[in-house]
Amino acid sequence: MPRPEPKTITFTIDGREVQAPENTILVDAAKLGDVEIPVFCYEPKLGAPVGACRMCLVEIEGIPKLQTGCSTPVKDGMVVHTQTDRVREAQAAVVEFLLINHPLDCPVCDKGGECPLQDISFGWGGGRSRFIEPKRHFQKPLELSPLIAIDRERCILCYRCVRFSQEVSEDYQLILHERGAQTFVGTFDGHPYVAPFSGNIIELCPVGALTSRPYRFRARPWDIEGSGSVCGLCPSQCNVTFTVRDDRVLRVLARQNDGVDDGWLCDRGRFAYQAIHVDERITEPLLRDGGTLRPVSWERALDEAASLLKKAGSRVGALAGGGTTNEEGFLLQRLVREVAGSEHLDAAGIDPVDAWTLLDPALQASMQDVEYAHTVLVVGTEPVDDMPILDLRIRKGVRRNRVKLAVATPRPSSLDANAALSLRYAPGGEGAFVAALTAAVYGGDIEAPAAAADASVDEIRALAELLRTGGDGAPGDVVIVWGTSMLAADGGAVAPALLKLASGLNLSGREGGGLLAVPAAANERGLLEAGFAPGMAPGFGETDGEGEAHAVAGIAAALRAGDLTALYLLHDDPLVTRADTHGWDHALEKTTAVIAHSQFLTAGLLEHANVVFPAESYAEKEGTITHPDGRVQRLRPAIGRQGSVRAEWWVLTELAKRLGTDFGVLTGAMASQQLFAAVPFYNGLTLDTIGGKGVRWPADAALAAAYPAAPEARRDAVYAEAAEPNGALRLGTFRSIWVGADVEASPALKFLAPRQMVEMAPSDAQRLGVRHGEKVLVGGDGASVEAIVALRDAALPGSVFLQTGITTNAANVLDGPLVEIRKA
Amino acid sequence: MARNRPVRSSATGHLTGEGLQPVPRYAHGSRVPGWDDAVDLTKDPAGVPDPAVVAVPADLRAQIEDFMSRYPDARSAAIPALRAAQEKYGWCSPDAIEQVACVMRLTPGYLAAVAGFYDQLETRPVGHRPVYVCTNISCSLRGADALLASLQDELHDDETVNLRGFECLGACDIAPMVSVEGVYVGPVESPEEIAELARQIRAGEDPLPEKQLLRRPCQDPGAVS
Amino acid sequence: MSQKILFKNIDEPGLATLDVYRARGGYGDRLRKALSMPKDALVEELKASGLRGRGGAGFSMGTKASFLPKGQMDKYLVCNADESEPGTFKDRELMQKCPHMLIEGMIIAAYAAGANKAFIYIRGEYQQQAEILERAIEEAKAAGLLGDRLMGTDTSLTLWVHRGAGAYICGEETGLLDSLEGKRGNPRLKPPFPANQGLYQGPTLINNVETLATLPHIIEMGASEYAKIGVQNSTGTKLISISGHVMRPGNYEIELGMSSRDIIYGLAGGPGDGRSVKMWFPGGSSSPVLTGDDLDLPYDFDSMAKAGTMLGSGAIIIVDDQTSVVDVALKTAQFYRHESCGKCTPCREGTNWTVKMLERIKSGEATPMDLDLMASVCENIIGHCLCVLGDAMAMPIGSMVKKFRTEFEEYIEMARARAERELMAGLSSAPAAQPHHPVAA
Repeated sequence: MPRPEPKTITFTIDGREVQAPENTILVDAAKLGDVEIPVFCYEPKLGAPVGACRMCLVEIEGIPKLQTGCSTPVKDGMVVHTQTDRVREAQAAVVEFLLINHPLDCPVCDKGGECPLQDISFGWGGGRSRFIEPKRHFQKPLELSPLIAIDRERCILCYRCVRFSQEVSEDYQLILHERGAQTFVGTFDGHPYVAPFSGNIIELCPVGALTSRPYRFRARPWDIEGSGSVCGLCPSQCNVTFTVRDDRVLRVLARQNDGVDDGWLCDRGRFAYQAIHVDERITEPLLRDGGTLRPVSWERALDEAASLLKKAGSRVGALAGGGTTNEEGFLLQRLVREVAGSEHLDAAGIDPVDAWTLLDPALQASMQDVEYAHTVLVVGTEPVDDMPILDLRIRKGVRRNRVKLAVATPRPSSLDANAALSLRYAPGGEGAFVAALTAAVYGGDIEAPAAAADASVDEIRALAELLRTGGDGAPGDVVIVWGTSMLAADGGAVAPALLKLASGLNLSGREGGGLLAVPAAANERGLLEAGFAPGMAPGFGETDGEGEAHAVAGIAAALRAGDLTALYLLHDDPLVTRADTHGWDHALEKTTAVIAHSQFLTAGLLEHANVVFPAESYAEKEGTITHPDGRVQRLRPAIGRQGSVRAEWWVLTELAKRLGTDFGVLTGAMASQQLFAAVPFYNGLTLDTIGGKGVRWPADAALAAAYPAAPEARRDAVYAEAAEPNGALRLGTFRSIWVGADVEASPALKFLAPRQMVEMAPSDAQRLGVRHGEKVLVGGDGASVEAIVALRDAALPGSVFLQTGITTNAANVLDGPLVEIRKA
Repeated sequence: MARNRPVRSSATGHLTGEGLQPVPRYAHGSRVPGWDDAVDLTKDPAGVPDPAVVAVPADLRAQIEDFMSRYPDARSAAIPALRAAQEKYGWCSPDAIEQVACVMRLTPGYLAAVAGFYDQLETRPVGHRPVYVCTNISCSLRGADALLASLQDELHDDETVNLRGFECLGACDIAPMVSVEGVYVGPVESPEEIAELARQIRAGEDPLPEKQLLRRPCQDPGAVS
Repeated sequence: MSQKILFKNIDEPGLATLDVYRARGGYGDRLRKALSMPKDALVEELKASGLRGRGGAGFSMGTKASFLPKGQMDKYLVCNADESEPGTFKDRELMQKCPHMLIEGMIIAAYAAGANKAFIYIRGEYQQQAEILERAIEEAKAAGLLGDRLMGTDTSLTLWVHRGAGAYICGEETGLLDSLEGKRGNPRLKPPFPANQGLYQGPTLINNVETLATLPHIIEMGASEYAKIGVQNSTGTKLISISGHVMRPGNYEIELGMSSRDIIYGLAGGPGDGRSVKMWFPGGSSSPVLTGDDLDLPYDFDSMAKAGTMLGSGAIIIVDDQTSVVDVALKTAQFYRHESCGKCTPCREGTNWTVKMLERIKSGEATPMDLDLMASVCENIIGHCLCVLGDAMAMPIGSMVKKFRTEFEEYIEMARARAERELMAGLSSAPAAQPHHPVAA
């Protein structure tokens, strides 16, 4: 899809000549001449203008009727008037119409003080009302969902919220009922409006009709300050503004960055701030004393941790979770490698050489490429769960730019309805599927790998055809959005096949096309680049260490075997985030020293940690994280650290000092400098240049040139075959967007914390004699989990899907690949 | 359905009737049904119904799929599909909408928004036989309001009839007129005629055969050769 | 007596069937002639006929057809049979009695526009007419007049009847398109116009039933012959619907330019019973009203425009001197409030407000100053809306207030006096005073 190339034109507005890109919407172009045209319904993020509110009427010479500025593209030589009597009268009339039924309860309205209706009434209204009939009065506020309150008296029917639901998130749950003056916003048959992105309608509402229930009556606009940062809860890394009052985060708003989030936020990003200020949060160091964790002083905790580390010597392993910043990962790998002399550290759980080859800047697609590509293939990931904001971007590309979408996943995808082609393969067949697709693009045997993935050869051929020719004989840029969890599943086969596929499609060095990885954790890419990966130094350099470097599973095994005796957990708890719960339980059991940084006492820490350092929340952190498309972004502290929480970089530096090494880090910024110096393709970055919008290093020729050449892809890769069910069922897993300690700890979001469900095809359910909604046990001989049956018409027969990461009954305890289902 | 059948009162056009909330606060302010309704937080969000979970009668499914096949974009079948469901269930009940949504692969919300927009699609339980009395300008100039009132008196206790005043039905030449399940009759003027029509409606007979629009010749004298 | 083109022998038994229609020359030489003409020449022929759209806006049909882009793409023809303008019922008579005339016209229009998919959007209330059309389409399909390579030519056309479900706004062409796409029938912003981006975003020609049904006759007569009928800028014959207080309400086919008096008294018989015409809508309820003094105006597009009103859909509603203008105004305003789609502010709020003011006048709670307010509200609606529905209420109401101000003032006084009497009577008999605004528990 060609991106717009603006041509500059000159038009006249209120007597002054203004230059603007041709076809800019007049409302926006007017701003370039410092003229404000008032709007309510116009919001470019929502797509084509609708011209509903009629607030932006202006006079254009040569057109007899007043025109809506929100729908008029500027042309060269256009002459516009916004200050004539005719325009003023029309605008005052619209304000009067809007206010006749508006309750004017501004003193008790959350929007008061930051309300477009107030501002526009003040600026463009007549300042009087001639409406003497009684206004409409209704019960208010009403619940629209547990998160959103609706006040229908205040609604001015600007259509923004329903357009969001229908044309942006495409959940089509929020609708207009009735028509004319009786029109009102609501949902079908009293169902709540619960959807991953529902909170955006609060921000879109130009009046106080839709308000945030957690924020209601917490502050007035003059009590608060805004503080820009980045949400660190998932790989989307959306840019946000924290609303801060008295050193507390009271609200999170989107901070539009077209390269990242397009101005939207998911509900987790919008409401999980509550977890910052809950009693469950750890705000002082804890030390295990007689079996229980007790608060101690920082000195004591640091001394104790240092002595445990000293005792373990080089027999230390370390894991970092997704919330870890680049700097924290960088410093911890220094601590483990330089100070302890161990090589056993991991975060992503994928082979760093695979990552190195696949993250090559020449292959890297950007978020915006997804929107303008000719074809997008989503393979092995469910964007709405794994990287929610990407889901909106893909939908936008399909809807607005007619991007051709193909989806290939084991589990039915929420994008299937938008896809030109969507196909299924068996869980466990990742490597085989990509191999089959590569063969279909490149030539080679398709049948065998397709059979191993239990996928249809014809569908794979059709997909290859779509990727190669664009489906209409006009091939263009292809973006492959792939889940890095595929590497964890069958890395040996997936990475080389993906690389071969990319080169078959000529994606290397291509503007507008390439690969876009969807990581399993928020800063997975940053940690890989900062050297927090087994056997890989910062910037994919060589490590000094010798011998094998254990990855996640290897660390667990070494702990169980007693080869490692200490485990350092930075924002991680393997009992919650990693597969093989039993193996990890056993490993932690055997570990002499578990040192952790965490905000919450999760299962593993509660049982096994010896020292727990209170961790910063993302609103307190400073440092950088790296977006999946290579954008290095900066976290800035919005509030002071709660309780006696201290910065992680400080803790790591202190521990190193106690163990005899001075990291030379006295401030957070110094940690960033060290990181930028150590990673060749971060060289020259500064916190200033990163600024509020981040820097995409793969797009910077000089930085990209510093990327070390990756080794040749393995040629002898053999894919694994998806397990043969033989009467049992293949187990696939997924992780919901609503999984996380932050969701569990946020009072407002808690209701979304998922319960275990087993998704299965109706034919399987019939064979097993289980019904929709029935409680069953899913498992093998050893472990089983309780789950509710959820029938899915589109599910692949022979496979079932369970969720991982949830608090109870998580699928992490099952080690698959086959399970059986019994009635509970 | 626990709720009683609501009756549309001619004076305000608002829903009244037993079992519904009395009209609160300002009696002469505009009250809109639905505006006071909060959602039920015990319900799940209403996404596209999964065919594995929602059962759709085969005849209804076949009808809807036939409509869908007529258009380049299957969503165009929304109105015909809702009408088919209404004919089957008497009104566009939540269950009916859910079934249509399941076949059309849309959210029930999409269809509820459509159903709420159009006068002939009923989103509240009503009698399944529509009887519309045109009360627009030309008909009201010729006594439509009285006709509606008389028919309401005659038929108020017939639960199968959905009697309502309607905007211009496009038959001002036979004003005042009534559409009895799609059959236009008029002019219906004398009390005897009204009583007879009411009786026929109750009995499900062909309404006023002599006064049906289809039998009326063109008034233009030049049209007859 | 005017020439009859559309209504010629309209009541002939069996005319709705293919055989009778064919016996009259339908689907015959004229259709073959049209389909053998180069498309451009056909469009030029339609332009030359001077035929103006019969739906209400009166835009040149041939010019509209020429706006569609050329070239290979999905193009659509939509027949607007959502005849909902109060007082209008002419298309109903055509569809019900001679459905094949419309179908033949649609084949010609689709060929001219290069469209191969066509829809008749008929209002949902016209159930019998929709069934008649569907039967006729089946017949035409079976006879090879519709479908692939119709009549052995290279032209293909599929045609479906799409029934609406009761919404006046779907007669507005873009509201109709949204409705036909299966959405709420909200009008769209223009531009883009349907000729460029209409149904499913494809180029779309939308015409009224009467317009399309006229095409076979234009081809048969030749554009120049057709253009000789009527007056300049208002060529051809026009179907008009007359209703309200007349002796012979119904549809009539006239030559435009005929005197209004001849129509109202000559054809329709006038109000009768010694009553006189007080007020009349010349082109449906959306047109500004005329009075008994305007009866000698020629009935054509330009003369009506000059008189500050419009020919619209050709629906004349007569109100006699026994009727209160306030009642008519309230009915009119209530209709538009009910039918406003609610998308744009001035229409949604303005129609609602106007109804409330008229209700106050009726209940005796108004003063003559409210008439100025009402006029001002109407002024504030006109020209500020997304589509013409708001204007369609504001213009007739505005014209009624202007032309019958004295009557409104008298009514206000009378109603106030009545309300006062009732209040006094209530105070003296009621056991306890009612609160002004009763508040429910």
